[in-house]
Amino acid sequence: MSIDPKLQALFAQARRVFDRDAFVRDVMALVDRERRRTLWMWAGLSVAAIAALALLATPVFAALSMATQLLPVSLVEIETDWLRQLLAPMNSVAAAIAIGVLLLRKFLRRIL
Amino acid sequence: MRHSTDLLAKSPEAVLVGLARGGDRDAFAELVRRREAWIRNLMRRCCQDATLADDLAQQAFMQAWRSLRQLQDVARFAPWLKRIAITAWLQHKRRSDPLDGASADVGAAPAEASPALAMDLDRALATLAEDARLCIVLAYHERMTHGEIAEFTGLPPGTVKSHIRRGTGKLQQALAAYLDTTEETT
Repeated sequence: MSIDPKLQALFAQARRVFDRDAFVRDVMALVDRERRRTLWMWAGLSVAAIAALALLATPVFAALSMATQLLPVSLVEIETDWLRQLLAPMNSVAAAIAIGVLLLRKFLRRIL
Repeated sequence: MRHSTDLLAKSPEAVLVGLARGGDRDAFAELVRRREAWIRNLMRRCCQDATLADDLAQQAFMQAWRSLRQLQDVARFAPWLKRIAITAWLQHKRRSDPLDGASADVGAAPAEASPALAMDLDRALATLAEDARLCIVLAYHERMTHGEIAEFTGLPPGTVKSHIRRGTGKLQQALAAYLDTTEETT
């Protein structure tokens, strides 16, 4: 071991005593500034989120209600009751969209 | 939440760390109060510049405040803080110009137990290359083993060993007067 115990003792003797209060005050001033900045950031984000919700709520709600009205609409009119009920899951705008998405996915997988 | 200063002053460090992790400002202030001298002395020995040392110590405490939630074991606050401080110093070293050391503010010393010794020790440390100085400071100021220093600094163990051997020799020469006095008194 290349450590000299006498040199180690000198290091211990040479420890300085600093102005503690000023340093603690400076560090805590930085901490407080950071806390304020974080608080303002969250406040800003909350206001932005509330504004976005307020602005987008009406169009999103309208789109959703339109979708719920449009999705179950039959693609082909079938006169016979039992046949209409049997084909109902396939015979709708929702089913057409689902089949379209599945086909598109299959196609993309094949070409990529 | 506000605690009485006396209560915080009497609390074990692990309790203060736990409180500070939850955002308690006063508990963190008490941690800074308890650890500032140690970290500032460490930084002072590493960088040889009183102003820079205090800036780095402040940075270390700020980083600790930001990352306290990441500290897994509250009982390991001191080594964790030391690692943050040394990393701050290493990052500063990588960023700064190698000639910056020429303007080191070695003379501006605050109150100290042994002013002449502290200044001579700083002067002797200033003659060492930065890596060697860091190894010496960690070995003598922090009493870390070669293996710990190698792990801490990322230097190969052999390099750490030779830095400490050569640095010890230089310091022994530079501080011979003090070492002789120590020998006489013991």
